[in-house]
Order: sequence, then C-alpha cells, then structure tokens
Amino acid sequence: MSAIATKYEVVVGLEVHAQVLTQSKMFCGCSTDYLTAPPNANTCPVCLGLPGSLPVINRRAVEATIRTALALNCEIPEFSKFDRKNYFYPDLPKGYQISQYDLPFSRRGHLDFDVRGAPCRCGITRVHLEEDTGKLLHEGAIHEAQSSLVNFNRSGVPLMEIVSEPDLRSADEAREYVMRLRAILQYIGVNNGDMESGQLRCDANVSLRPAGSSELGTKVEVKNMNSFRAIHRAIEYEVVRQTEVLDSGGRLTQETRGWNDARGLTVSQRTKEFAEDYRYFPEPDLPPLDVSRHWVEEIRAGLPELPAARRERFVAAYGLTPYDASLLTSTRPMAEFFEETVRLGGPAKASANWILGDFSRLLNADHKEIQESSIKPTHLQQLLHLVETGGLSGKMAKQTFDAMYHAPDPAPALAEAKGSSQISGDAELAGLVDQVIAENAKSVADFKAGKEQALKFLIGQAMKLSRGRANPQRLDALLREKIV
Amino acid sequence: MPEPTSELSSREVEHVARLARLGITPDEVLKYRDQLRNILHHIEALNRADTSKVPATAHPLEERNVMREDRREPCLPADAALRNAPSREDSYFKVKAIQE
Amino acid sequence: MKLFHRTIRDLHQMLRDREISSVELTQSVLDQIQAVGDRTKAYLLVTKELALRQAHAADERLRSKRDVRPLTGIPIALKDVLCVKEVASTAGSKILKGFTPPYSATVVERLEAEGAVFLGKTNCDEFAMGSSNENSGYWPVHNPWGLDRVPGGSSGGSAAAVASGEAIAALGSDTGGSIRQPAALTGIVGLKPTYGRVSRYGLIAFASSLDQIGPMTRDVVDSALLLQAIAGHDPRDSTSSPKPVPDYLATLGDGVKGMRLGVPKEYFVAGMEPAVEQSIRDAIRLLEQQGASIEEVSLPHSDVALPAYYIIAPAEASSNLARYDGVRYGYQAEGARNLIEEYMLTRQQGFGAEVKRRIMLGTYALSSGYYDAYYLQAQKVRTLIIDDFKRAFTKVDALLGATSPTVAFPLGAKTQDPVAMYLNDIITIPANLGNVCAISVPCGLADGLPVGLQVIAPGFREDLALRIAFAFEAATEFHKAQSPLMGAAA
Repeated sequence: MSAIATKYEVVVGLEVHAQVLTQSKMFCGCSTDYLTAPPNANTCPVCLGLPGSLPVINRRAVEATIRTALALNCEIPEFSKFDRKNYFYPDLPKGYQISQYDLPFSRRGHLDFDVRGAPCRCGITRVHLEEDTGKLLHEGAIHEAQSSLVNFNRSGVPLMEIVSEPDLRSADEAREYVMRLRAILQYIGVNNGDMESGQLRCDANVSLRPAGSSELGTKVEVKNMNSFRAIHRAIEYEVVRQTEVLDSGGRLTQETRGWNDARGLTVSQRTKEFAEDYRYFPEPDLPPLDVSRHWVEEIRAGLPELPAARRERFVAAYGLTPYDASLLTSTRPMAEFFEETVRLGGPAKASANWILGDFSRLLNADHKEIQESSIKPTHLQQLLHLVETGGLSGKMAKQTFDAMYHAPDPAPALAEAKGSSQISGDAELAGLVDQVIAENAKSVADFKAGKEQALKFLIGQAMKLSRGRANPQRLDALLREKIV
Repeated sequence: MPEPTSELSSREVEHVARLARLGITPDEVLKYRDQLRNILHHIEALNRADTSKVPATAHPLEERNVMREDRREPCLPADAALRNAPSREDSYFKVKAIQE
Repeated sequence: MKLFHRTIRDLHQMLRDREISSVELTQSVLDQIQAVGDRTKAYLLVTKELALRQAHAADERLRSKRDVRPLTGIPIALKDVLCVKEVASTAGSKILKGFTPPYSATVVERLEAEGAVFLGKTNCDEFAMGSSNENSGYWPVHNPWGLDRVPGGSSGGSAAAVASGEAIAALGSDTGGSIRQPAALTGIVGLKPTYGRVSRYGLIAFASSLDQIGPMTRDVVDSALLLQAIAGHDPRDSTSSPKPVPDYLATLGDGVKGMRLGVPKEYFVAGMEPAVEQSIRDAIRLLEQQGASIEEVSLPHSDVALPAYYIIAPAEASSNLARYDGVRYGYQAEGARNLIEEYMLTRQQGFGAEVKRRIMLGTYALSSGYYDAYYLQAQKVRTLIIDDFKRAFTKVDALLGATSPTVAFPLGAKTQDPVAMYLNDIITIPANLGNVCAISVPCGLADGLPVGLQVIAPGFREDLALRIAFAFEAATEFHKAQSPLMGAAA
C-alpha cells in the first residue's frame, strides 16, 4: 500500500443513502415497516404508482433532512423543491423518482472525524430527500436471472442522500467518515444505522491521480458495500486494481462496479452504452417549499449534543483520552450509558474501561447494541463500587460481569458478589473489633455511659478499616458483647 | 404546411424513442421525424417572447409548504395491489429478465 | 318532454316532491343510451347495474328525506380519465384496457356522498390528448348535432352524452380546452375551474400543472350545482387550494349591470369562421345591453401560449405516462425476450399515435441540452401569460371571446395534420396556462351547429364566470336548443 500511495493519490467521494426514521412513507400513509411485512402488503395507489394517485410530503422526513444537514454544518437555502428523475426500472413504479435536483434542502457542509488520532475534514456537497424504490428478488445474479419478483413495500420510504466532496484520500478515511456519519445520524434520531439490511447504504466514487496533480482521474462507482469492513476492503481493492491498470499502461473506464464480499473483489456491472439522461424537471404535483429561518432555528434547537462536542466534553470533564472518548461517543446509547454510570458514582476512567473492554467484547460477540443488554448503568456502577472498595478482585469482577451479562437479570449475580465479598466470620471480625476498641477509648466510654450514637461511630470505624467489607450486623453484635 | 426548419434527425428520433421506451419501426422514425420537425417549427415561436428578465413559473399555485403529518394510514387490502398485475407469482409482481 | 331532457335543478325538484323516482329517471336515461348510444358512441362503458343500485339507494334517501342533496338521484356520466373503484378506468387508452382501480377519485367520492347515480365512463381522446375525440384508443365519438362531425375533445364523450340526453350532466377534464371546446361544439355548458379548485386525486394525469376536472351540463345553474359538489380542498392533492368555496348559486342571478367586460383583440384569430365571429360579436352586444361596459383589451402574449403549451403539456405527459410499462397493471405485450423489449413493445402497441407523438415531443424537450431552450423557456412564457391576465384583470372584471374558432368539423378533416388540430385550442389554452377559470356557454348556431361563448374570470372567481354566463343564458334561448338526436327520441 505504501508504495502505491506515493505514486498515485487516492480520491474517494461517498454517496450515503439513509432511510429516514418515520412512521409513514415519504408521500403516502403506508407503513415504513417493510422488512417484516408480507410482500406488497404495505402499498397503496400512491406508492404503487397507480394512475391518478398523487404524492403528499411527509413533514417529518423534511425536518429530519434539515436536521441532518444542520448536524453536518450545511447551508439551508430558503427555497427548495422536489423534482422528477425520469428513468425506467421495474422497482420504480411511476417511471420517475421524486427527488431533488438543483434546489435541495441543503448544501456546502462538512464532517469532522479522525483517523488514528489525526483530524480529518470531508466536505458535504449536499443532503437531499427522495423516495426509495421497491425491491427486486431474483435467483442468482440480476443479469443472469430469467425473471425477477418485485415487492413494493420499500417503495416510497423516505431516503436521504448525503453526498460528500471527493475529499477522502484512503480506505481508512472513507471508513472513518462513514462511521462518524452513521453515529451522527443515530445521535439525531434520523436513521437506525443498519447497514446489513440496507437502511444505511453507501456507494463510493473511487479514482486515482498522479500524486501532486489536481485533476480528477476516471472515476469508478463502487456499489453494494454492506458494512464498514466492506467499504474498507472494496476501496482498498479498487485502489490496487486501478493502480495495476494504470501501471500496465491501461486506461480506466468510467463504470459501475459491484463489491462481491464473499470473493473479495469488485465486478463490473455493465458499462452504460450512453450517459443516463434523467430529464429532471420540477415535480408539478408538489408545490415548492419556503424554508423559513424560523423553521430552521426550531429544528436546530431540537438537535441533541453531537458526537464531536460530546467527545470534547468527555475529554475535558472526565479526563478520558481522546481515543476512548471517541469510541464512547460513537453511538449515542453508549455515550449515555457511560454518563449515567458516572452520574451514579462510577469512576470515569474505570467506567470507560469496562464499557469499551469487557462489555463491548461481549456485545460484539452477540451482535448486540448496548441498549439491548440487561446490564444497566446502575449495575455497572455497583460492580465498580465493589471493586473500588476492595471487596472484589479483578478476576472475580470479570467473572461477576460475565454472569451478570448472561443472566436475564443482573441483580442476583451482583448480590452474590456482594455477599461473597463480605467479612462475616466472627474470628476475622474479632481482630477488627479489638483494634477499634483500643483506638477509640472515648467513644467506648460514651457508649458505656449509655450513648447509643457512639456505637454507630465505632461500627463506622470498623467498616472503614475493612474497606466496607465487614458485615455491619455482626459488628454491632460483637462490639456490644466486648464492650459490656 | 411550412417547410420544416428544425434539424431534428432520425438518429435523435431513435434516441428519444429509446429514452421513452417506445418501440418504433423504421417507417415510423421517418414519420415522427417529419411530424416533430413541423411541430418544433411552430414551437420556435416561443423565442419571439423576450423572457430575459422573466422568472420561470415555479408552480401554478401560490401555496407553499404543503405537507402532511407523519401518520400511518391503512394500506390497500392484500389482493387489491396485485389484482391488475399481468404477471404475478404469489404475492409478487413478476417481470422478465432484466438483462439488456 | 322526457325526463332525460331536463336539467338537474328541475329533476331535483321533481325527485324531492316525489313526483318521480331516481330509478325512473335513471331508466329513462339508460333507455336513451340504448336508443342513440350506437350513433354517438359516447360511452366506453355503461354501468347499468351500478346506476340502478345507486338510484335505489337515492330513492331510499329521498323517501326518508335524510340528507337529500342537489345531486341525490341525478344520473351523471364520468369521463374515463376518472378512477372509479372496481370499475374499468382506461383513460380511453388500450394500454389500460381492463384496468379496475382499487380506489375512487376524490370527485367521484364526493358525488357518491351526494347520492349521485353513475351511468358509466365516457369516451375521450386517449389520455385526454386531442381536440376531436378521434384519438380515442377505442372508437371516435359522433356529434349529436351532426353524426359526421366531431364532438370536440378531449371530453367528447361527456359532451355528446349530455347533448344527446344520454346523461343529465357529466364530468370532464380540461388541460388545454378539453371541457370548453367540446361543450361549445355540442351546444352545452362547460366549465374549467381554476387550477387547484377541484381535487385531481384519482384523475388519470395528462399534464399535472394544467389538468382540472369540471362540470359539463345543460345550463349554467347545473354547472354551478355540479361545481359546488366537487370543488374544495383535498388533503390528498397537494395542489388543491385551501381557499374557501363560495356559494355559487347565491350570486348567480346578480347580473352584469355595471360590470366591465374585456374583449381581447388577440382572441379573434386568423382562421376564425365568420359565422362564429358573428355569434360572438352578437353575444358581446347582448351583454352590453344587459348593462355591462365592454372594452377591448390586449393579452399580448397570446400568440406564444400555444407553443408554450405544446412544450409544457407533452413534457409533463412524457413523465406521467412512464408508469404504463405493463408490470403492475394494464396491457403487457407478448413475445418479448427480456424486460426492456417488453417495455418497448408494450408501449408501442398500447399507446396510440398522438400519445406517442406527445411522449416523444415531451421527452425531447426535457432531454439533455434542450431543457433550457424548450421547457424552461416555456415556463417563462407561462409567467408572461399569467401576467397578461393579471394586467387585464386590473382593468376589467372578466374577458369574453369565442371558445373555438370553428364549429364542429367533419370527422377525419384534421387527423392527418397534427398542427392544424393543435390550432383548435388556440383560444382555450391561455386560461389553463394563466391559472384562471373559464366557462363556455351556448351562444347560437352557425350553419346549424352550436357556437360557444367563452367567459374568462380571474383565478378562483368561478362565481363571477358563472354569474356572467347565467346573465347571458337568462337573456337568450340558445341553451334550450336541442340536438337532433335528443329531439329525435322526444
């Protein structure tokens, strides 16, 4: 890689499609819950493109798009409209997609992220809103199948397209960009971040140019990357492939290539015989939108703290390393779990270590998100308290956490750990009691004189000496016995 | 009938027909070319209007920001969506091979 | 006089007084369809069973005197571009043969709520593209005033049905004159409401920024009654206006005294038949006698309205008609080897010549490199036409002119020359582009064929257009003239 990197500069721009989390579709009242519904059950005249049907804009989808654009530091023009993008495909019921062409909801933003601690910034060209298409099913590869089946449940689901500038210079940068973008979309509640099921999709425009040149090379569009890992591998693959073509004196063709994850390579998906001509024109069925500054400010006011700001705060307020802070803020539920644990009294550094260490390891193995676990911040805080007060060894704590994680209710495992860490044996406690009596003559005298308060003080001293592990009921009994 | 002045070519007619997914016979290419040339000749009159300082009509209505709230409404009954389909398989619409 | 000769208002009175039943009335109209239908060819589908079922329901409503509305029990015809749930709706196209929509248009639901009776789907030019009804994918319609003549288009079936007694009233749609021109050519009243006044939901689209549904009736009162029933905001059509709907009957009889009426000099176009011009000049004089002041005005961009229309409408149509690909509904060609071939064949065989011509024209106008010169320029010209009307309406209350430069022409006369056919719409198109409303009202016969006076009023002033038309109608007998077919069975 390093040899390649010096000869050619890698230029990557990403187009991310994110389904907007809404109850109903972009232009009709059908449910957006298309993954579980029977085929073609979530359809109506509008999303089936029946003659005579008309679209009506879903306000929430528009606001989610503006919300996203604000989170990506975009400008929000005061006037916007929808346009028709005309092309024929069996998953596109109207023969056109309602999208946005020259006046999208936003443009000119940027996203900051870092690659192994080095800060990066990628320009955002635009964020616009459109409708998703239906889904095709076929046996084998699309161009070899004898027929396809069409399901329009996904047709009309609101879809944001987030287009980046060609500012990314490596597969690493591309991956980090998408990770950070996904975190933001989840933070602001506009997308669920699910790449596997296609609710978040990414296409990459990859090209090479001689190092030092400012002109863009022939770009290849890579599609069908369903994970961060796939994005990284596909771009790395393309860089190697394109380098080989160029080095052997060949020419690259502008084409679309699909990433085949199983084989680990990109495959040409038919070069277009002539350039697509989408014949965009303003959607006459939808009056344009005036995006008032008041409306924009209202949406801005509803934005939560974004990952970048939160990360900085985590470093400043909790003394975390930027790396840990970055990982902790990569999803909103994880960041919130951390903060809640600390708020309940958990030490910041230890809380972060547990969340990013054992907890994440277990979650990853189960493909689960932190909010799906039965372990809640209070459980982690209690466990950390046991460790801190010395009652639980590191090894014991790991075992306890494991047990807590795998039980439907973490409480019993936690209680057991508490119990096992307590000193209840009279023989062990006797020495402690003797020491306290010897060191607190005045209180002993006070208690003998009938001051019940004094005994509480003595128990407290014994607890302190035991670092919280002594059984207070037994201490009470033993002290009374010895003093009288 | 006025002389056609537009330069619309047969090739363009074929291109447009393909964009519009309209099958067209070689005879029709010529027929449509001549008819469209004639129509376009009349349409050239558009350029008689001075529009240098005129904004395009964005939309016939003055209304803006026409939106609905994000609420679910009932979908079509199971069979209604597929009833008119010329080809179907189970609850899917069926289409021929997509290869071009 | 038979029942099918009467107007909505008369029949409503008779129904309410229980003088007649809706079933009797419906049967009378169905009988007339039976008698003359094969001569006019006005209907593509007669929904006899549905009509009688609705008539029974209406009679029940009339008997119980519950929720009796002006249209309860009145037999109405629907242009085939309107979707009616479970009833074949084809827009006059073979590509939609057998298509039965799973939903009804908003206007259809509104008429159902009124208790109206649906006689069937009327013939029209395919996807409403045409001025003579000869572009129907099924068969042409014949004018009840002369069976060798066209009824006009595209709502020719609705017009012929109303003019021949095959319907008491009908709904049509008007994109460039498709209600008014056939109304004029068949001697009935046709109203094109302002864009946004009537919901387009369920209207099979031709040109989305121009299409409007409107009433086609025997007289102006009926026009007001039918418009009252269908006008108003619809949340399912984002382009339907939230403006309140006035009571059209309330001001209908207020007359034209003191009104300023403009006559656009550009509307007396070259090629206008002298007899038509004479009828229009007489009609204008009559309104002057009624107390209106008449003045000549200018709509300077009228000459570019037609070219602008023939870019905007085909461009929108090329996109609206892309959905007819044989996948989800409608015609699917046989014998294709793959999908793209199937698309090409389906559309080649399913669409008629005029529709294909307009799809090609519209596709071309939107295609890369031509958009600015054609579509964008046309939208700018549209702004000029809107401004022409705005300026004129600062001087006058409404405009007068002919609806069509000619009377009904013989079938086949213009089918070989698309441009000659397009010129029919030269004085109806500006109202569609200009976002105003217009009504055509009978104003006499020329050579035994009807002539229509067009009254154009500002946007959302249908009340004004109706009021002027009613003042004219009240002072004349033209609307009482009956087509030979209607009279023949009397």
